[in-house]
Amino acid sequence: MIKVLNLTKSFNGTVVLNNISVEFEKGKTNLIIGQSGSGKTVLLKSIIGLHEIEAGEVWYDEILFGSLDFNGRKGLRQQMGVLFQGGALFDSLTVEQNVRFPLDMFTNKSLEEKTEHVNYCLKRVNILNSNKLFPSELSGGMRKRVAIARAIALNPKYLFCDEPNSGIDPKTSILIDALIKELTEEYSMTTIINTHDLNSVMEIGEKIIFIHEGNKCWEGNNKEVLKSDCKTLNDFIFANSLAKQLILK
Amino acid sequence: MKKFLWGLGRYVLLLKKTFSRPEKFSIYYKQTMHEMVSLGFDSVGIVAIVSFFMGAVITLQTAYNTENPIYPAYLIGLGTRDSIILEFSSTITALLLAGKMGSNIASEIGSMRITEQIDAMEMMGVNSASYIILPKVVATFIFNPFLMLICVVVGITGGGVAGELSGVINLQDYIYGIQYAFIPYYITYSMIKTFFFAFIITTISSYQGYYVEGGSLEVGTASTKAVVYSSLVILLFNVILTQLLLS
Repeated sequence: MIKVLNLTKSFNGTVVLNNISVEFEKGKTNLIIGQSGSGKTVLLKSIIGLHEIEAGEVWYDEILFGSLDFNGRKGLRQQMGVLFQGGALFDSLTVEQNVRFPLDMFTNKSLEEKTEHVNYCLKRVNILNSNKLFPSELSGGMRKRVAIARAIALNPKYLFCDEPNSGIDPKTSILIDALIKELTEEYSMTTIINTHDLNSVMEIGEKIIFIHEGNKCWEGNNKEVLKSDCKTLNDFIFANSLAKQLILK
Repeated sequence: MKKFLWGLGRYVLLLKKTFSRPEKFSIYYKQTMHEMVSLGFDSVGIVAIVSFFMGAVITLQTAYNTENPIYPAYLIGLGTRDSIILEFSSTITALLLAGKMGSNIASEIGSMRITEQIDAMEMMGVNSASYIILPKVVATFIFNPFLMLICVVVGITGGGVAGELSGVINLQDYIYGIQYAFIPYYITYSMIKTFFFAFIITTISSYQGYYVEGGSLEVGTASTKAVVYSSLVILLFNVILTQLLLS
């Protein structure tokens, strides 16, 4: 479980996140939704400690993130898997080396054991026969899946995904959503996903928070999201007139 | 001034992070070997070519400026040798490498920053500064002195070839000149400068790349700044080290 209490973050005097409080549940896919520029990515990066926050607290189960020193954070981060928007695969390493990277850094397994685990992770995300390819030789969807494989290589307790569907087609997008949901249940992780993709909201939104101009405007799940009386949320969900007609039908 | 001090503080903090204890020596060893090839070995060609022609020009210029029967011909060899050892092999080579290595390092690290590869490393619990920068510093520390020696040998050879072909000095006099009144300390002096300059090039360029914010345009700017600032600091330290080591 991850608990955020009264989180506030500003850049050069401009408040980007204002007094956000939310609890993300274990074993569920928790979604942060909102328009581009609403503060979703800043919230995610503040939770994982890539942005220092001005006020508030972030709790990882019983651990207060802000109270940890450099080594404490380092230790906690080994329990986190992060999928960045562009995948953030290391250009100079092959697919296999990318997935093996956290194992090389933090385990004492033999090369055979590591390779076996890498192959398991790659198989788990349906990437086969691509071990020796470099990231530049992969499609957008494959990059995302390799990045997921790397994120789960150390069996993390917490998984963070920043726009996992950006830049990929709707079909692949659904596959990636399903994969993240499956892995969340399988590893019993606390998963937080940033998205503005309506398909993801409806498919895997077990818990959803809606951010608008740095404020949390709504909290619920995929069954409640269409019945909300929050105007800004409705404007966001029904932005597409065709979607609006289909959903209302 | 405030901005300069802020930048200097951030540079020192980056160095502190860079020189912290590596997570795994075997990984760092591999990285260092890789950097020795990409930063050091790949620079041998350009250093050798520039050194050869600079050695040739130094010989010709020395010859035309000492065209007086009072001066013995071997002085041309001596002048070429001392110019190359004292200044060219360390400082001019460092300026050349600031252009080649500096832009390479800043653009590589800058690209990693804007594509979130550095964030990804940090999120895995890896000390990104140490993993990325330390092998580069170690690799240049080991390889740059070889580049300096290559520069000395090829530069002096270039001078000899140019002198012989142009007829300004015969090879016998040139060889006598490059052996005459040789002071081994000059090599030590040049070597010490090379170590300092290697450190300056890698750390300043890494700093410029590590803190890039924005996109490809900013990576280009960081790359330019890496070359300019490295060159300026090299020139400044050249004066300081010369005063300290030769006075």
